[in-house]
Amino acid sequence: MPAIACRNLWQVFGPGADKALTDALSRSGNDADKAAAALREQGLIPAVQDANFEVQEGELFVIMGLSGSGKSTLIRCISQLLPGTGGEIRVDGENVIGASKKALTELRRKKLGMVFQHFGLFPHMTVAENVAYPLRVQGVGKKERLDRAQEVISLVGLEGREDSFPRQLSGGQRQRVGIARSLAVNPDIWFLDEPFSALDPLIRRQLQDEFLRIQATLKKSIVFITHDIQEALKLADRIAIMRDGKIVQIGTPTDIVLRPVDDYVREFSKDVAKGQHAKVASVMRSEAECGPDDPGLTTSMTLDAALAHCMELYEPVPVRDEAGNVVGTVHPSDLAAALQVDET
Amino acid sequence: MTAITDLPTRRGAQLTAGAKAALITVVVGAVCLALEGVAPWLVKWPAAWELPATQWVGAFLDWFLNLIKPAMRLFSDLMTHPMNWANFVLGKTPWPILIGIVTALGWYLGGLSMAALGFLGLSFVLASGYWAESMNTLALVAVSVPVALVIGGGIGILANEVPKVKTFVQAVLDIMQTVPTFAYLTPLLLLFGFGPVVGLIASAIYAAPPMARNVMLGLERVEPEIKEAAIMSGGTRFQQLFQVEIPAATTQIMVGVNQCLMAALSMVIIAAVIGGFNDIGWEVLLTMRKAQFGESLMAGLVIVVFAVVIDRMSGTLATERKRYDSRVVWAMLGFAVVFTAAFWAWLPNPTELTLLDPMAEAVDSGLTAFTQANGQWLDALKNNSLFYVLLPLRIGLDQAVLPFTWGFQWTSSMSYGLFAAGAGIALLMAWRGRLTGGLVVLILIGMLETGIANLPWPFVLTGAAALGWVAGGWRLAALCVGLLCTILVSGLWERALLSLYLSGAAVFTCALAGGLIGLASAVWQSVWNVVRPICDMLQTIPLFVFLIPVLMVFQIGEFSAFLAICAYAIVPMIRYTRHGLVNTPDEMMEAAISSGATEWQIMRDVRAPYAAPTILLGLNQTILYAFAMLVIAALIGTTGLGQSIYLALGQADVGLGISAGAAMAILALIADRIVQGFAEERRAALGL
Repeated sequence: MPAIACRNLWQVFGPGADKALTDALSRSGNDADKAAAALREQGLIPAVQDANFEVQEGELFVIMGLSGSGKSTLIRCISQLLPGTGGEIRVDGENVIGASKKALTELRRKKLGMVFQHFGLFPHMTVAENVAYPLRVQGVGKKERLDRAQEVISLVGLEGREDSFPRQLSGGQRQRVGIARSLAVNPDIWFLDEPFSALDPLIRRQLQDEFLRIQATLKKSIVFITHDIQEALKLADRIAIMRDGKIVQIGTPTDIVLRPVDDYVREFSKDVAKGQHAKVASVMRSEAECGPDDPGLTTSMTLDAALAHCMELYEPVPVRDEAGNVVGTVHPSDLAAALQVDET
Repeated sequence: MTAITDLPTRRGAQLTAGAKAALITVVVGAVCLALEGVAPWLVKWPAAWELPATQWVGAFLDWFLNLIKPAMRLFSDLMTHPMNWANFVLGKTPWPILIGIVTALGWYLGGLSMAALGFLGLSFVLASGYWAESMNTLALVAVSVPVALVIGGGIGILANEVPKVKTFVQAVLDIMQTVPTFAYLTPLLLLFGFGPVVGLIASAIYAAPPMARNVMLGLERVEPEIKEAAIMSGGTRFQQLFQVEIPAATTQIMVGVNQCLMAALSMVIIAAVIGGFNDIGWEVLLTMRKAQFGESLMAGLVIVVFAVVIDRMSGTLATERKRYDSRVVWAMLGFAVVFTAAFWAWLPNPTELTLLDPMAEAVDSGLTAFTQANGQWLDALKNNSLFYVLLPLRIGLDQAVLPFTWGFQWTSSMSYGLFAAGAGIALLMAWRGRLTGGLVVLILIGMLETGIANLPWPFVLTGAAALGWVAGGWRLAALCVGLLCTILVSGLWERALLSLYLSGAAVFTCALAGGLIGLASAVWQSVWNVVRPICDMLQTIPLFVFLIPVLMVFQIGEFSAFLAICAYAIVPMIRYTRHGLVNTPDEMMEAAISSGATEWQIMRDVRAPYAAPTILLGLNQTILYAFAMLVIAALIGTTGLGQSIYLALGQADVGLGISAGAAMAILALIADRIVQGFAEERRAALGL
């Protein structure tokens, strides 16, 4: 069972959105594009249109798009900060759209954690109090919740700043507090809404690395929002690209870079050094014929690394999997061709 | 193509909205003047057409107030208890201990400077001999403020939680802001009879809105992500509100507490006019009536001291506070107790203290000497302003120009000449492409000839509608006309025009003088360094106190009232003008400088246009301030609505009090909406 499953999810803003959406869908025969156009004509804003995707347990699912593409709205639908106008969202198999307030509060207390772009720290609480707050609302005793807060504060590397107030911290430190707070209840599902966008590039990379380190040990199911293609490619197991409220492509980083579905996605991947993201597996052939040389390529190598190994070679070479078995071949010219940047 | 060639011949098609509105106003005004002889009802609304609206309002309110009287009396009985306790506590506590407490509080809130302020302030009160009266006033404030905080806070939170309530609450708060203070008092008088409870309840009602406003604003301004974080933490709505949103909005809420305190103090002092309680406001009024200006000024200074101490101390709540050593607090309190115990037998009775009496006498005699020595030019200033400015504005040149004052008699040929000159200027300006400006000049000249109090009512209605239409479209125009018509038929029209004239004159003066001072403050920092503390002071002083100095120098009369209004209403104009001019974005300034503009070109072409919306908001505030002060100024001699409200209070005439108060609120509301409309339009034009 997937951790999160969205089916035909819509979020429409404006007066009378519920009814307008039902009408528009029935009139267009469930054609999302036509329905969206009809809604726009009525002066409503279809911020998320017919979103369909699943997030598997332990998967890091990145939603990427420019500002105004609806990605923030989408994550707020899933976390039910926005009600969702149509469709369904299943979290651990249960539909959260239309769930009672009580059930939602319970879900948030046990299963969900969220990190915000501008941190959303409570200015009147210390670091420790901020981190312990999700436990406090559940009525966990002071000692117990501060002990747990201490654990997550150590996890994000903020020991010694427990009694500081948010205003006394740097941006990077503040987001560490935000991350710690979202992990305080040890949630299964973790929402991160552009968590690193407000930070300097250097601090951003540092936090990305630490985030990956934390995720490697905790293995949460994650929905991660970003507008930065580099960040998406670096972190994601899978990426969904959004444009004007629609998801235009879902795929692995390699898919996005090497097989963009349209010009919009291609535009994103244009500036990306493909060799750093695409893996050898994506250009590998299965026929076993190969030349005499064996530079030791593996499936999970990036194209750049592979090319560096076969700079002098002109014949197909074998590719091995993690266990060392030969699973296919690759021609050095294919490696070079795959790296070429599109002219369009 | 034809449209373009047609344009010059079809001039009507190029008229701007402003020109159209001005043109209609001119035509209506001209028709009214031309037909004055034939149809006098066009100029003066006939008494026969008036509805006895004030009586109706009075009858209804009498019935309604009698209906709720038992409940209200119960409430007032309930309120008597805490008031008596507060009176007892503040009255019986030995003064060294109270001074010690205030000083310690000052230290706790703001360190050494606040402690010194508290100590010196209360010492002054003690030395003035008004200790007992001050404590009575303070007792009223001490009881009314918690009530206002609870009511205001509750309303603010409720409005935040229930969006439907919010619009309603906001509308009510807007209206309450424009209803003059005295108007609250008359119905309360009927409900509670004479006595301090009226002051208490009036101040609680008057002080609640700023609290409600700031609570709403504060909660609204909590960052959305902080609210979302509270939701995602799994808090219930109750937990979100009280554990996160309200604490996060503390700064803004504390601004509300500060404003609430100041409003309560101001109202408690104003409420003294109904008497029955030996407080400091009453003392000012009494000495003022007896023309003991020295003592009046002393009592006024006591009020100012209280206002400053309360304002500055509560103001620290709204800023980021340092923590001050609490041991000092205990030391101060301990010292006060020890001091009291040690000198118990020698402590003077504060009411018998006369340390500052010589000062009051000196002020009195000094004032007499001053007015005697400078009587001539003071009188000249007063009379010249009256005869050559205020009076013509009020009754028009045709009646104000008399051989006795101006040295010649106004004749109808002079009127024709004036109108001809006006028409000439209008034509000249129209020919230069500024038709609207020309028409406005013509209208102003017409108003000057007729006098504001004698303006034909169709002209006023058309003018208001025209302004409303230009500022905010048909809806605003309809609102203006509808509201003005209620004044017209209720028989308060003449008084309304008188109020309009005096506040108009004051607003015009404030706009001009305040604008210039604001401009100077924006250009020269040194000017602002001087002006700023004066503005701070003027804004802290309760309305009532403004009357004392003008009364001392210029005696009772319209000119004194005019000065008092100006002194109070000029502050927002100065502040907003400077603020608008100073806050031009750096990039715009740099762009202008690199284009080679001189200092004054930048001021004229870049800073002034950018500041226009802000300056208009300042004008708006000035208008509201002027109306608020107009009613208070009725105490020292104004005519019009303010006087009616004041008289109604004396006669406990609820109908007149409320109707006149409503008429005043209507004038303020219309002025507010029109100016806001213009400001909004400017802001939209600048893309802000």
